[in-house]
Order: sequence, then structure tokens, then C-alpha cells
Amino acid sequence: MEPTDALLVARLAAGDDHALAEIFDRLAPAVYSAALRVLGDGSGAQDVVQDVFVELWSHPDRYDLAAGTLRTYLMVLARHRAVDRVRSELRRIARQERHHRLTPTERPLSPSDQVAAGEAADVVRAAVRLLPDGQRRVVELAYFQGLSYREVALAAGIPEGTAKSRLRLALAKLETVLDRQLLETS
Amino acid sequence: MSADTPQPVVLPEGLRERVLAASWQARTAGHTVPQVAEMPPAEAFSRAADAFYGLLCALAERDWRLPVLRDLDVQGLVGHLIGVEEDVHRCLAGDPDVADADHVGSTQLAAVRQAGRAPDQTRADWRRAADRTLELVQTAADPRAEMAVHGIRLPLGALLIARAFELWTHENDILRAVGMPASVPDASMLRLMTELAAGLLPHAATRTGVPGPLSVRLVLTGPGGGTWDVAIGGGPSDPVAVGIVTDVVGFCRLVANRATPAELDLYVTGDRGQAEGVLAAAAALALD
Repeated sequence: MEPTDALLVARLAAGDDHALAEIFDRLAPAVYSAALRVLGDGSGAQDVVQDVFVELWSHPDRYDLAAGTLRTYLMVLARHRAVDRVRSELRRIARQERHHRLTPTERPLSPSDQVAAGEAADVVRAAVRLLPDGQRRVVELAYFQGLSYREVALAAGIPEGTAKSRLRLALAKLETVLDRQLLETS
Repeated sequence: MSADTPQPVVLPEGLRERVLAASWQARTAGHTVPQVAEMPPAEAFSRAADAFYGLLCALAERDWRLPVLRDLDVQGLVGHLIGVEEDVHRCLAGDPDVADADHVGSTQLAAVRQAGRAPDQTRADWRRAADRTLELVQTAADPRAEMAVHGIRLPLGALLIARAFELWTHENDILRAVGMPASVPDASMLRLMTELAAGLLPHAATRTGVPGPLSVRLVLTGPGGGTWDVAIGGGPSDPVAVGIVTDVVGFCRLVANRATPAELDLYVTGDRGQAEGVLAAAAALALD
């Protein structure tokens, strides 16, 4: 008889390391796939798998049985962690691009940095294409061209406050789009 | 396989080991969530005594005549506990005669003596006896010294936990007799009780004839529970052959011989027969 999610999580809380190994063997492939779909990068997906299982082991009490199955919980956690990594990576790209514009003599991105950044960006670019025009424009300006809020506002011909709120909305939708992509393929 | 069927994902080599190692680093295996506050054994006994005394104070006069355990009514059961405390006093004073005295037989006189007395006299006698135990414990020359009473040999701290366990058990006997809901000790108390029971389980299993060597993973769920690898007739490094998972309070009732394995919500892996033997051994820990 397979142990229930409730039993597995109760065992985790009781300090039963065998329970974590059982959950890993059962659900790690799904967690890895979920991360891989967002990131398109095996190395990043492995980091997400580690984050997810360390989180489960450290805080089993954060899993709410009433909210869904353990599988769903872990996949949602993986998706959030993966999206966070993409966002973080995009911010890093934007920062670097801005920096290079300002200091053109400095050393350019290494080939491996460019590949990693490119893989992450490709996944998000596909999702960005699904955004409404106004929101897509601010995301492209802010993240792919590395403009500041003020520069985005000038380039788009909108007030700075509007640029900020559109970007916030766009990021929220971006996450939803990535979520939907994940759920459709999981 | 059809073209629509997703290919099974193959995890990268070494990922499992890496993830599990990072997890154990974040929280050591065996540590519970949430962590349970530690409680000194004397505090556990004191709290159990207070809870028991609180119940005695809440009883109506007619409740003292209700049959509760063996041939004892509530008053007789309290008398039995006065007798136990008196034997513990003798034990703490170094009297070897109580080392192997029978738990029920040696206290029968104290139980019978209560018949016809006013309940508040019995209650006051019991409170004095429990308080005396605490006084003697506080002045004990060596708190780590092994104590021997009623066939059990335990360090003083463990003996106090066993006494707290017994008080909780009989508190619940009385609650059941008067039709009140069962009480559950707090997590710190349960943790002490389960630590004691898990520690004594190998001896009980050997005594009741569980064939060894056998390595058992005992997982008690809920606040105050935990995880133990119990080695029966072998070394602690033997691979786990039997896994038993159950609720911590249910397990304590089993150890008190107040619940049967069939009444527990059990999850067993490995040989079912061996697991039943281990559970029977746990129930044999009860003194009654």
C-alpha cells in the first residue's frame, strides 16, 4: 500500500529521512521536468530540484494538505523557484547590458554566460510574446534593452508611473503565462 | 508507446545524492519539525502530578466509587498510586526490598486501605506522597544513579518519566470511568515518554521473544513524536527490516496497554508478523 501524502509529510515532520528519499524517488522526475520546462537548462533545473526538496525537508509544515496533492505542491514550488531564477537572470542581463553601454571598453560577457543567459531569455521571450502590446513593450524595453523606468517611459511615450505599473502587471502575467505553459505540459 | 506519450524523465546522475545530502545539512535526520522544547524529568513528573491532582479535585463524591481498573474503584486506584509513591520513596532511600516487588501486589494493601475513607483524605494523602517523591528527588545524592523498583531498573530521570507515564495512564483510566474525554500530554512530555519507550523496546522485545537480529524504524507522528532506529538483538547498523509508523499518542496508549495494535492507525513496511511482535513487545512495557 502506498503511503498517503499526509502520512509522508507527517513522517518528514517526525524526522524520518527515509520518507524524503521515498518522496524524491516518486516525485523528483516531475519536479525536475517542471523546472526544466521553465528554464530550458538542466543545470538550473537541478538547482531548483535541490531547492524544492531542501525546502520540503526543512519546512514540511508549509505543505497544506487541503490545498492539493504533494505532487502539485512540489511542482508549483518548482515553477515558482524556476521563474524566480529566470527573473533574477533577466535582471542580471539587464544590469550587465546597461553596464556595458556605460563602460564600452570593459570585457564583454563570456561565451558560457551568453549561452546561459540566452537559454533563459529564450523561454521568457516566448512568454512575453503572449502579453498585450503595451505590457510587452515595457518588458522588452526594461529587460531586453535594459532601460530604467524613466528611459522606458520616454521610449514608450508614457508617464513613468504608468511604465512601473505596466511592468508590474506584465511580470504578474508573465508568471501566469509560464505557469499555464507548465501546467499544460505537465 | 504512442507518439503522444511523454518520455519518462531520467534524472541527472548524482542528483539524488546531492539533494539528499543538502537536505540533511539543512536539517539533521531525526530532528523534528517543529522542535520540541526540552523538559527536565522532574518537571515532567511534577506536571503529570498536577494534572492528576487537578482531576481528583474535579471529581464528584460519587465518581470515587466508580469501577475503574482491575477490582479497583477510583479511590482504590488512587490508593494504588499512593502505594507506588511509597515504594518509590523506599527505593530512593536505598531499600532493596522494593527492587523486584510486584507493581500491583505490593501496592494492594495501600489500595484496599482507602475503602471507606473520605475522598478528600485519599486525595490529600496522594498529593503528599507525590510531593514527597519530588522532595526526595531534589535531594538525591546522584541523579544519574540507577534506581530499582517494581522490577524496573532505570536512572532516576528515566524513573520519573516512567512515573509521569503511569500518572497520565491512570488519569485517563479515571477520565474514561467518569465519561470524560481523554487527555493528551503536551509535546515535551510526549517526547520524554516516547524516548523512554523507544529506549526500552529492545529489552521488551527480547523478553517477549521477538526473534533478532531485527532493525526496526519506529516513526511516531505528531507533536512529541520522532524517529528511532531500534536494534533488537543486533547492532544499530543493521539495515532496517521493519518500518512502523503510527500516531505518537496512540503509541503511548499501546505502551500503557490501553490500546491494541488493531486500534492504532498503523503503516507497516517489511514483515507484518515481525512488526506485530514488536508492537506486542511495546504493550508489554506496561506495568498496569
